[in-house]
This record gives sequence, C-alpha cells and structure tokens, in this order.
Amino acid sequence: MRVSRVAAFSVYEVRRALARKKVLAMVAFTALLDTVPYFILSSTGTTLIPPSLFPYLWVAGVIAPFALFIQFIAILIAAGAMSEEYEAGTAELLLSKPVSRTEFLVGKYIGGYALLAMIIALNACLSIVSATLTYGSQAGLDTVPGVLVVEVYASALFYSVAFALGELVRRSSLSYILSSALIVSSQIIGTYLQVAFELTGKDLYQTIHVYLPTTVAGSLPPQYEQQLLPSSAGRLFQLILGPAGGTPSEASAAVMIATYFLVASALALAYFNRADISRRVS
Amino acid sequence: MTVPVIEFVGAVKQYGNKTIGPMDFSASRGEILGFLGPNGSGKTTCIRMLLGLSRPSSGRVRLRGVDPLRNHVEALTGVGYSAELPNIQTFLTPREVTKLAAAEMGLRDPTPEVYRVLEEVGIIEYADTKVGKLSKGMVQRLSVALALLGSPEVMVLDEPMIGLDPAGTAHLREVLRKYAKDGGTILMSSHMMSEVEDLCSSVILIHSGRLLYMGTPKGMVEEMLGANIVRVQAKGLTPELVESIRRTSGVIDVVESEGWLEVRVGQGVEARPTIARLVSDSGAELLTMTGGERMLERAYIEALRSGRDESK
Repeated sequence: MRVSRVAAFSVYEVRRALARKKVLAMVAFTALLDTVPYFILSSTGTTLIPPSLFPYLWVAGVIAPFALFIQFIAILIAAGAMSEEYEAGTAELLLSKPVSRTEFLVGKYIGGYALLAMIIALNACLSIVSATLTYGSQAGLDTVPGVLVVEVYASALFYSVAFALGELVRRSSLSYILSSALIVSSQIIGTYLQVAFELTGKDLYQTIHVYLPTTVAGSLPPQYEQQLLPSSAGRLFQLILGPAGGTPSEASAAVMIATYFLVASALALAYFNRADISRRVS
Repeated sequence: MTVPVIEFVGAVKQYGNKTIGPMDFSASRGEILGFLGPNGSGKTTCIRMLLGLSRPSSGRVRLRGVDPLRNHVEALTGVGYSAELPNIQTFLTPREVTKLAAAEMGLRDPTPEVYRVLEEVGIIEYADTKVGKLSKGMVQRLSVALALLGSPEVMVLDEPMIGLDPAGTAHLREVLRKYAKDGGTILMSSHMMSEVEDLCSSVILIHSGRLLYMGTPKGMVEEMLGANIVRVQAKGLTPELVESIRRTSGVIDVVESEGWLEVRVGQGVEARPTIARLVSDSGAELLTMTGGERMLERAYIEALRSGRDESK
C-alpha cells in the first residue's frame, strides 16, 4: 500500500464531502448549535444554571451535541463515501488507474474521518468561544485536547458502521436510512430498557443497555471529561445528559468501539475487494 | 515468445440469465484492435473485465500478461482508459481531475504532464472550469486526456468518439493516429465503422455475448460479404459498359446504387485495372474507384444479421 496514493484519496474525499451541500448544511447547523444557545441563555438571564457552573459551560457545547448530533454528521459523511461514488459512476474512473482497492477504500475512509474530526474540533472551538463571550473566562480548558481525541475515537463507531453500509448496499439514501435507523432504534430501545430496569430491577435490561451502540459511543466522552473536572462540575453533566443510566466502563466502551470499527471495516474491505465495481447505480 | 498485451482465454461473465463469452482473443504490442458489436453485446463488460473492474465468472483475462484483479497495480501500470459516456467528478476542474489521476499513477512532477495532455486533446482553455459546466464533447476529450496521461503503452477506449463534434472527432483521430504511430497499443470499441476502418489493424466482432469474428477489417468484409467490393463512379456510364464489367472474369455481380457501381469480385481477384480499361475504352470518364474501403459497415450489418439468424 502506497501512502501517497492513500493521501491523494483522503484529500479527494474531503473535497468531495465538502462539495455536498448536505454536509455543509450540517456544518452550518453545528455552528448555530454551538453558539445560539449560549447567547439565548445568557440574554434571558435564566437562573437554571448555578453561577458555580459558569466556568465549565464550554463542556455543554462540547459534550451535549456528541451523543446524537455529531453521530448524524458522522453517518452523513460516511454513508455516502463509497455509495455516492457508485451512484455518480466515478468509482470506475478512479479504479481504472494503477491503484489497489485497499488504497482507495482506506484513503476515502481516512479522508471522511479527518473531515469529521475537523467538525468535532470546530464544534469545540465554537463552544469555548461562545461560553467565554457569554459567561466569562472558562476553566479546565487543558482537558480539551483529550476530550477531542476521545470524541473522535468514539465517533468511529457510527462512522465505521455507516461507511460499511454504504459499501454493502451501494445506495446513499438506503445507507443513510439504515445508519440513522440504527442510531434512533438504539436510542429508543435504550430508553425502554432503562424503564424496564427501573420497574423490575433486573440486571439483564441494564446489561443489554450498556452494549447498545448509542450507549457505548455516547458514554465515553462525558465519562472521560467528568473525571478530569472538579466534582462541582458534576451537576453540569446531569443537566446535559439527564438521569444517569447504565454505562460501560471507559475501558469496555473503548474495546466495544474498536470491535464495532473492526467488524464494520473488515466487512466493507472484504466486500469491496470481492465485488464488481458498479458502472453507475441510478 | 511474445506475451500478448491483451489476452482473453475462455473468459465468461454471467449476469443472471445473461452470459457474455466465452471470449478468446488477444492483441499484441503495437496493434490497434477495433471492438465491434451492437449495444448490449458485451463490449463494455469485456473492457471492464480487462481493467479488473469486473470479475470473470470463469476463464482468464490478462492485461500486460498480468491478472488485473489479483495484481491490479501492476496490470494497470502503463494503461490508459477512457470510458463510454465518462462520469467525471463534476465538482473538480479538468486540471484537478488530471492531477488526481497523476497522483494515482504516482507521477513525479505531474504539472507539465497534466498540461501536455489537456493541450493535446484541445481543452487547455477549460483547464480551470468545473467539469459540471463542460459540454459532453469537452468531457469526452477530458476522458481521453486521462487515458493519455503518463504516455501509456496500452490505451483502452470505450466509444471514444461519442459526443464529439466533427472537428473533435477529426482531432481525436489525429491524436490516436499519432499515438499508434509511436507504437502504442489500442483496444477501441466503437460504432463508427469509418473510424475503425481508418485506424484499426484488426477487429473483433461480438454479438449477444458471442465472438463472431476476429481478424483484419478487410478479412471481415471478405468473410461476411463473400467478396471484395470495388466501387466505381464514372461519367457517361452506359448499360453496355455495365454489362461488359459484369462479364469480366472474377466479377460476381454489379449493382448500381446512388450513382455508383458496386462491383462484387471474388476473393483475391484484382479487377480494378480491367474495370478502369473498360470504362476508358467505352468513352466514359472515370471519376473515382475505391477498392472496397468503407465496406466494413455493410460487413458488420451482414455479420450481425447472420449472427442473429444462427441464434434463432
């Protein structure tokens, strides 16, 4: 595998993803989500937020969108990475040159993932700036690089699944729908399981809940961040995430994310190396 | 022994109920091979198997002596491809698309090469226009530019003339002639018989996934029409002159068509000097006499007709 070719496909994938209006729209929406709530909350002078939490409000903007919103951006980028090449008929052109299929797939995977990482970083920057402008200087900013790395890592779960689905079904709309359905159904099932656990007290419901993909991906960044901030900031996590449910330990979550990533990527790679390259899928 | 640049050995592709093949043909270095057949006959499928984009259900395909599926990088090194109705990234410019292709090929210092190929196909002035804003003809030229990138030793062209205006067709013909003159090998599918006749040293004809003919264009005319055709245009033709040509040794038949005489002569018979003398002796003025050029289209139609009859 030649690195220069992988890099060329990565850069190409970033450009391709940015050329799509829906990705740009999501980036613009991220910017709004990370700025507008701060300004609205500060201008209305709500007493909902205790002043002791003001120096840590940047955390809300970094953590809160991650559980769902960032996951949707991940699938928006990943689900179309391969499928849209088939739909546009451009995969044939790119693969008629002396490149291996693995280089192509890995390059596109890395490119889309790098774009997602940039969006996560943008999300954090905007949150910090907005929180500073509205609630004064922020504390605990030395933990930002770490939480960003954790968020990027955790987002690999849905990114990989959506990427693999895009390759397997080769239809962008279908892969978006399937990936979104996975997030939504995982979230709904998680809620039901939590309710069932509260009502019955049976550990089985809690155990299943812990292994759901939304629980795994969504629990890692807040768990990581919470232990680095003073206990006085703990109230903030309750406000952002709601009542605490069953969550896997950090190590378990990290292993499960890696498992989802490996299985999805191996499936995508095996199928891509075996299947014919579609001429144009309409 | 020289290894064929392109080689199909019993290659079959099965799509549900449809079967393409078995295909057995090859092309040597420096050969310009015309790939003929109606729409849906399997030309593009064969090309896709050759490029390692599609896996043969059985049999063997080799490009530059290498399996294009197992060793894609090695097989495709030095091979240029232009697709039929190419789908090129609309958000990039021709310069960017060509640079991306150069990066795929691992070309060092690609900029001069990028400009050379864009210049060669005549779209240098559109180098920075988004592909989505280019006309079909310009996109087709860009596709050929991508195929020419890095001076490949083999070019695989799937309907390269589609969408080109007459000037574009003439320009591309010249580009391909120059490429062939420099020793390049071409596999070219086309519906334009005149182009195939002009450019190709050999042709393959397939129909409904079956190989009907492989050989020279002249041989195809002889085999499919059972004769050579001499076309004569003369001023002052008389029924007596037509009759005397018909009685000439080796002449099978004479047909008048749109001001031309089409003289069918037996294979290997050279009747042109005799015909010229007869025209001259009769007092008519000989305007043009061709030795069977432009007959490939007729041979092609005849081959398809007999191919269909056989499959009934």
